[in-house]
Order: sequence, then structure tokens, then C-alpha cells
Amino acid sequence: MTRINLMLLLAVLASALYLVNVQYQSRQLFSALDQAHAQARRLEAESERLQVEQRAQATPSRVQSLARAKLQMRTATPAITHYVSYGNAAPAAALAPNDTGSGARVP
Amino acid sequence: MSRSIAYTSSPLLASRTPLWRSKFIVAAIALGSVGLIARAAYIQVVANDFFLKQGQVRFGRTLAMPANRGRILDRNGLILASSIAAPSIWAIPEDVERDPARLRQLAKLLEMPMTELDKRLADEDKTFVWLKRQVDDSVAKQITALQLKGIYQRKEYKRQYPEGEASAHVVGFTNVEDKGQEGIELAFNKDLAGRAGSRRVIKNRLGQVVEAVGEQIEPVDGRDLQLSIDSKIQFFAYQKLRDAVLLHKAKAGSVVVLDVVSGEVLALANYPSYSPAKRRNLSGAQLRNRALTDTFEPGSTMKPFVIALALEKGLVKPTTPIQTAPGRISIGRSTISDSHPHGVLTVSEVIQKSSNVGTVKLAMQMQPREMWSMYNQVGFGQKPSVPFPGAVSGRLRAYKTWRPIEQATMSYGYGLSSSLFQLAHAYSVFGRDGELVPVTMLKSSGRAAGVQVIDARHARAVRNMLHMATGPGGTAPKAQTMGYSVGGKTGTAHKQEGRGYADKKYRGFFVGLAPIEQPRIVVAVMIDEPGDGKYFGGEVAAPVFSETVQQTLKMLGIQPDVSVIPQIVAQAEEESF
Repeated sequence: MTRINLMLLLAVLASALYLVNVQYQSRQLFSALDQAHAQARRLEAESERLQVEQRAQATPSRVQSLARAKLQMRTATPAITHYVSYGNAAPAAALAPNDTGSGARVP
Repeated sequence: MSRSIAYTSSPLLASRTPLWRSKFIVAAIALGSVGLIARAAYIQVVANDFFLKQGQVRFGRTLAMPANRGRILDRNGLILASSIAAPSIWAIPEDVERDPARLRQLAKLLEMPMTELDKRLADEDKTFVWLKRQVDDSVAKQITALQLKGIYQRKEYKRQYPEGEASAHVVGFTNVEDKGQEGIELAFNKDLAGRAGSRRVIKNRLGQVVEAVGEQIEPVDGRDLQLSIDSKIQFFAYQKLRDAVLLHKAKAGSVVVLDVVSGEVLALANYPSYSPAKRRNLSGAQLRNRALTDTFEPGSTMKPFVIALALEKGLVKPTTPIQTAPGRISIGRSTISDSHPHGVLTVSEVIQKSSNVGTVKLAMQMQPREMWSMYNQVGFGQKPSVPFPGAVSGRLRAYKTWRPIEQATMSYGYGLSSSLFQLAHAYSVFGRDGELVPVTMLKSSGRAAGVQVIDARHARAVRNMLHMATGPGGTAPKAQTMGYSVGGKTGTAHKQEGRGYADKKYRGFFVGLAPIEQPRIVVAVMIDEPGDGKYFGGEVAAPVFSETVQQTLKMLGIQPDVSVIPQIVAQAEEESF
């Protein structure tokens, strides 16, 4: 009888210690998870910031001024646009018949 | 044997400890144990609740989980407004480390003079003082690196508007608390804001979260909002408008671009505008979304509706001649005149030349109720269905109160008022073969179902007249644009000031459609108080219309419907033998 009691006592003690250990581990893991979440939020915020910054660098006004000033580009007008159509679609009505001097024609 | 404990067998070392002493020790230890067990029982069982609560107070924390405010996107998914992290810097003056060198660095990072910083930190009784709200993330990191005691940061969000002033009136802005104040930000604040969540956690002594307690309320992020605005069209419209306002030394201007197929607002711009990021010295003039909040007398732009009604009632055909000589007509004691006499004009030419007399002659053959009903059906005197703060309904008086002279003036657009947006919307009737399209600021797809107001044949007939108005002999040849056929109506109106009309203060405007055979867009332009002598709508507003139409149709990928002389430079010449 005494022996069984003693064994049970040991078992209880062991399980109690194990519980303490598991609790400790769970807290550590939870803490790590929480930090990972925080990092995810930080990265998300950073990505949002970078997206906005990218957009701010590519606004039409900036693109236009750069294209004009740096690259000497001009706005395309219908007069210098060659309209092509696919397959059976009617050929572009916009083109006058005497544009044989233009570049490659797409059938 | 005496009553003592023998610790050894040697009589020399035998102590004389009395037995009661050891008994006393055992009893004392037993008592101590009982005390401990009782205390443990008290803590664990009897007063358990109290101690649990105390533990919670010391280590438990409720953390707010802020919801992200939704983004505002244009029709192609480009960002018009987005929230990014921008920590606010605050201090407890009493605790601040008085290290001059580092404080100077701090002042520099905060972009404030040293004296200002000193002043803020001077009052040591205060326990909280903002140093600067919403600094850049990079600046905040540098401030953290300074490691000054008593300086703290609070996580906040700042709204960014990459498109700046071009779309400021549409998008609006938020205040420092991230609440919408103007434009879409205000109109859709509820959708954009989302709901903050919270959770209860236990923190250890290092401040790390080690355990979650109870239920967690998840934050609900704000919905992203996709507008019907196309940021490129918006920018070009704004740019052309700005150039025109500056060129004509005008006070202000507005432009509206409407897709008549889907009813979407592609662009809505006003000048003067403002940069949402720099709102320090904002004036009411800059802030006003004129296209929606300012009403004016639409003038000649109303004539097509009267003509459409005359066709609808079978009073005339487009080719019916009308005598407008001698360029004057008397209604009661008042006289209405044309800018110069035209003689006999067909109905089409009445629109083309914008003859007041011709229009009035037709209008006087109608009942006031019929005219009122026509105006009302195309949206005059009614609030537009866009959910915009401050959108006005304009003024269209009940037909019972109309006197004959008022009916006459109303036929050419005086005596009633409308916003530019309403005018653009009303013209969708001509663009959609007689259907009024419902407008929307949010992206929608496909063809919107409209309400038939006039017969398709008559709408097409009026469209042809509008086309003539932009042709040779019309009032607005400057509205023509390369590659696309256009049609539209000019308007020039005296500005009202107080009770009467202001002398030499005008508004020039133009409303038109393109391409004329199968309209895709309505563009309305208004230039307020041009100051360089030119003030006719055909002079100041039509060129803006022309350029806006050109850019918009090109960006929508619509093929030119008018033949243009190609100027494509030959790339390769045929080999000569």
C-alpha cells in the first residue's frame, strides 16, 4: 500500500513539474508568435508605405514632366498613330488611303 | 536515565538537552507548516478571486487592435489615398533627460527651433505633451535611436494622397484622428473606417506578451473603395483646366467627364485646388468642389432641351425654317434679342448659331408644365445621385409660378440654376439616344440602365445640331479635336451678384459629347470670370473641352472616327534598283 502511494506521489510530482515546464514553453511560444505577428504588421505597414511612395513617384504629372523634359517626348496625336485591328475587324476608318509611306502594316 | 536525548554513547560528550526542547521545536515547525497550509488555502481557495484580480491588474493588459482605414483606388486600382504608419512623438517633461547635445538633435529631427522645444518641455508639472504629431517613419526611427529618456512615441496613421491636388476635390481628406472631412473620405467614412478590435493579454516583466486571456475581438479593416475616376484622365482634365484658367486670368474653373455608357464619373476637377498634404493655409475658394456645389444660370446650354421638346411634341422638324429677323422679340413689356440678327434659320441652325429669338419662338408654343417636366426629368432642380457632401440641387421653380417672360428666359437658360455636374448629367440624354443615365462615383461595369426621356430619333437629331454648333458657322469651332467628331453647346452667362447681374463678370462654359455618332463621353467645362477680355464659352471653355476629349478618348482606346491626314514618318524606304 505504502509503495503504491509513494509511486503515485512521485507520479504526481513528476506531472506537476512537467505541467510547469509545458506552461513555460507555451508562454515562450506564444511570445514568439506575438512578436512574429507584430513583425508581420510592421512589414505590412512598410509595404503599404512603399506602395504609396512608388505611386507618388509615378503620378501622371511627374511622368509627364520627366517624359517632356528628360526624354524629349511628345504627346501622340491621331495623326501620328497607326491604328491596327485584329483579324476580320474592319480596317481603321481613320487612316487615309495614301499612307503607304508608313511603317509595317499588320494584316 | 535522565529525561534527555543521548546524541552519543560517550559519557564525556553527553549533552544535557531536556526533552521538552526538542518537542517544542517539533511543535513550532508543525505550527509553522499549519500556518503555511492555512495561508495557501486562503490564497488558493478562500480569497482566490481577489488574488486573481490583483494578478490581472499587475500583468494583464488590454491591447487595442486598430483597424486599417481602407484605401481609395481609382478605376485601374491605382492608389488615390492610403494610410501609412506615422508615429506621434510625445514627452513627459519631468522625466526628460536634459542633455543639450541630444536635445538639439531631437529639435532638428522634429524640424522645430530649439527655443520652441525648450518651451514645450519647460512646464515640468505637465505629465503629457505632444512634441509633434505624425512624423515620418524614418524620423521616428532616428528619434528612437537617440534613446532620450522621457520621450515616447504613439503609433498613429497618416493619410497619404499621391495624386495631390489633381484629385483633391474628389478624394477629400481626413483629419489627424483619421476621420473623413471632405469628399469621398467624408461621404464613405463609415465604409472606409472599419472597426477597431481589442484583446486581453498577460505581459511578463519584460513587457512581452506571454498569454492571451479571454476572447479576442478581431479588428475589421475598412473596405477599399474603388472609384470610377481614372487618375490619368483626371490629371489631364485638371491640367488643361488649370492652364486655361491661368491663361484667361480667370477666377476659377471646373471640368466634369462622364462616361455615358456606364454612367461613371471619369474625372471631376476644379481649379483652384489644394494639396491635401499641405492644408495649413487653406482658403474656402480652394476647398470648394465647384462642379457640384456652385450653381449658375446655364444660359444657352439649355436650348437643346427646348428644341428636343419641340421635336418630341411634333411642333417642328430639324429642317423647319423659323424667322428670327429682326433679331428681337417682345414678350410683354420686355424684349429679347440675339447678339446679331440672323434672318430665317432652320431649327438646326437655331442651335448652331445659338439664337435666343428662335428658341423663344418655339418655347412660347409650349405649356409651362411641359417645359418644366422636361427640365425636371433630365435632373434640373434635383440633387444629383452622387453621395457627395455639399452637392446642390440648383433651382427650378414650380411651373405654376412662371410668367410668360420667365418661360421665355428659361428657354435660353436664365431664371433657373444648375451645377456643372447636373448640366453634364443632363447632356447624357443626347449621348444615350434619349436615355438619362444614372451617374455613379464608384466603379461599375457594363452598360447602366437608363430612363428614356425623349425619343431616340430626336436625341440623334439634336446631336447632329450640336455637331453643327462645333462646325464651321457654329458658335464653338474651337471645340473640334483631331481625329474625333464632337458636338456640344456653348454657354456664356452674366454672373449674378446680389439682386442683379454683375457688369462685365461672366462665366463661359461648354458642354459636349464625343464621338458624335456613338457618344462615349460627356465633357462639361466652366470657366469663372475670365479676366483677359475673352469670355465667350466658345473662346475660353471650348479649347479645354477639345483637349480633354482628345486625351480621354485616346486613353479609353477609342478609334478616331474622323479621317486625319497621317503624319507618320516613313520608317523604311523601298530599296531602289
